[in-house]
Amino acid sequence: MVILVIKNGLLIALLLVLLGAFYFSVQDLELMYNTFAKNYYLENGFYQTYARNLVTGIYLDYRLFDSIFEAGILLIAVSGILWISKQDIEKHNVHFMLDKFKTPDLFVMFARIVYPLMLVFGFYVIVNGHISPGGGFQGGAIVATAILILYYIDPNKETDPTFIVSIEKIVFLLIIGFATISIVTKGTMFTNPFTVDNIEVQSIYLLLMNILIGVKVALGLWTIFTAFLKEGR
Amino acid sequence: MIEITAYALQVLLIIIAIAIVVHKNNGTIIILITSFSLVTASLYVINNAPDVAIAEVAIGSAIIPLIYVISISRQREFIVLDRARDDFLKRAFDKEGIGYRLLRDFSEYYKLELNITDDPELCSYDPNKDQVLCEKTNVDLIIQKDERTGEYLLKGKDSSILMHKLEELASEYEDIRVVRFKDGDFGD
Repeated sequence: MVILVIKNGLLIALLLVLLGAFYFSVQDLELMYNTFAKNYYLENGFYQTYARNLVTGIYLDYRLFDSIFEAGILLIAVSGILWISKQDIEKHNVHFMLDKFKTPDLFVMFARIVYPLMLVFGFYVIVNGHISPGGGFQGGAIVATAILILYYIDPNKETDPTFIVSIEKIVFLLIIGFATISIVTKGTMFTNPFTVDNIEVQSIYLLLMNILIGVKVALGLWTIFTAFLKEGR
Repeated sequence: MIEITAYALQVLLIIIAIAIVVHKNNGTIIILITSFSLVTASLYVINNAPDVAIAEVAIGSAIIPLIYVISISRQREFIVLDRARDDFLKRAFDKEGIGYRLLRDFSEYYKLELNITDDPELCSYDPNKDQVLCEKTNVDLIIQKDERTGEYLLKGKDSSILMHKLEELASEYEDIRVVRFKDGDFGD
């Protein structure tokens, strides 16, 4: 009992210290605030990256190094989920009563109408990532949701998650390879490799990169669903 | 006008967050989490960040609730492997076995769905390796008859909170004994 009180007291004291530190650091932030970076991106962003959506310009050109590791984080998370959900005694599991139930006909009917629309919207968000809001990650997530609907229509659909992950790894290597081409043409890594001063030509790089990231994210989220659906079967 | 909307949405976020913590029903919580991310996405749009809003809608209100629905519906079933195969788990109109009555009370208490199976492949598995069976497959409870004493053994994982409640319920019956496997004897 005494130990519990001491533990709780220490925790509350720690929280108070953190709150005080936060309060004083916020006062310093007021001095640090300026609009230099914002103005720089607004003035030079379009002419240096040729992206009409500046967010795409930042994450596919200025900060491409960070984006590659973000893509890597998803890959590591997917591999971890696959490793946790693996099972040694295979095909000896009891059938869930849930798997014997039939999906309601109304849901199947609406899913068949919505499924192609969701796929097309996902591809639209990916392909127009450098022009309008969106991009590879968002579009990939929408495409993955569309694929998940297929599993609600037919719960006994069989997929091999390890095969999907191996495709995802190849796509990840393609992203890294495509990002390093610019060392040949421009002398620096992780930037746009095309040297022609034309918006249409320069957009090819952003488009291809968005498509690669979209495919990678969609495959990764698809693997997570299949791992969750296979869990305990 | 847009500022008032933003303040109202922020107040709504706090209310939803408290409701998520307070509620007990899993289905309600999933819907609340979905509405939380929808409100967050509209706040992002108000603050001129449509890219983040699309990601929030796609992840927070489509993928996460679907994954929760899948995993929660799996957890609601209590799978019992029947090795004894006699009247213990018999379910009939006139006479029901004591084991079935115990498990029915137990599953009604926790709002679980009882799934009793006598899968021949799993029943023929080595009885000395029941712990491996509980860890590696989706079986929650194994029922076995002790040939010498005539007692019925209910075997399950020690880490499960459900097993403590089951032991408490089973103490009323004389010929039922609950065996709990210790954790961490083997691992991968």
